Amino acid sequence: MAQRLFFTSLFVGAFLGSGHPALAQTPPLDAAAAAVAVAEIRQTIDTAWKEVQAYDKAGGTPGAADHPALKWHATLWTYREQHPGTQAAARATADGIRLLVRGQFWEQAHARIGAVGVDDTAWERLSAAIYEEGSTRKDFAYTIATLSKVAETTTIPTIKSAVLLDIGRARRRLGDLAAAKESFEASRSAAPGSASSEEADRVLYEITRLSVGLPAPTFSAKGRNGKTVDLATFRGRPVVLVFWATT
Amino acid sequence: MNARYGKDVVFVGISVDINLDRLDTFIKDKGISWAQLGDGKEFSGPIPMLYRPNGTPTLYVLDRAGKIVKRLDSAEKIEETVQPLLSP
Repeated sequence: MAQRLFFTSLFVGAFLGSGHPALAQTPPLDAAAAAVAVAEIRQTIDTAWKEVQAYDKAGGTPGAADHPALKWHATLWTYREQHPGTQAAARATADGIRLLVRGQFWEQAHARIGAVGVDDTAWERLSAAIYEEGSTRKDFAYTIATLSKVAETTTIPTIKSAVLLDIGRARRRLGDLAAAKESFEASRSAAPGSASSEEADRVLYEITRLSVGLPAPTFSAKGRNGKTVDLATFRGRPVVLVFWATT
Repeated sequence: MNARYGKDVVFVGISVDINLDRLDTFIKDKGISWAQLGDGKEFSGPIPMLYRPNGTPTLYVLDRAGKIVKRLDSAEKIEETVQPLLSP
């Protein structure tokens, strides 16, 4: 029921938003107004990413003064400052910083990250941006240090789960599987039912059941031709499982 | 692949097609002789749930003992992955 109400308000929000852009200027008084603001900021964010992609495609240089990430970051950061504590501001914050990371403006990105409080819901999205930075730079020291500090001090379970997930991903990339597992388990139990917790569960399954060297999960099922295929009966011969589709 | 290694290597296809008629017709038309599974449940069938393919194709190569040797997201490197498993 709560979920249905949420979608209804999103729809109403989108409808109102299309004809009355001035509404976004007023502070969000209810869920519908907040949804309008989120829809509008998402549109701005979409436009920003399209420009950045076009810039990259045209052979633009990361870190260059004419990089569109700078302009859009400024727009989104101004929005954050004008609408503190809102859902839309959380998106603006996270994507504003992701844009800086994409443009490889590391120092600017770090300064902004340092300004986001540990209980700011922007962390739910920001966390992945900091993982992306480590991934791009092939150095996860900053990623792990920054996210660990948030994990230790935040009081919001969904933030804790999100940052632990990305700490786990960083440790996994570094080849430290034991530490990665620990982080994923902590992420899973920090906020059961949240998107991060479910992703952590998925990754843990992959690590514990599908890693190289582990016995492949067995199955027995009837084939399309009616003959039973039992994986265990193929011992002694290598097997290739092919997941495919006709289209 | 199956024609060349079919005697030494077991190939099992797990189709994530929803339309099983289409799948069966495809198998028949192409004369695919290796084992084919498919339950029309896309990625939520029991076998995809066990192996969690992110898309198609996803290949798992298992050694003689049934252990996972490699997960591949294309058939490109299948020969070089399977070849070392064949030497006695």
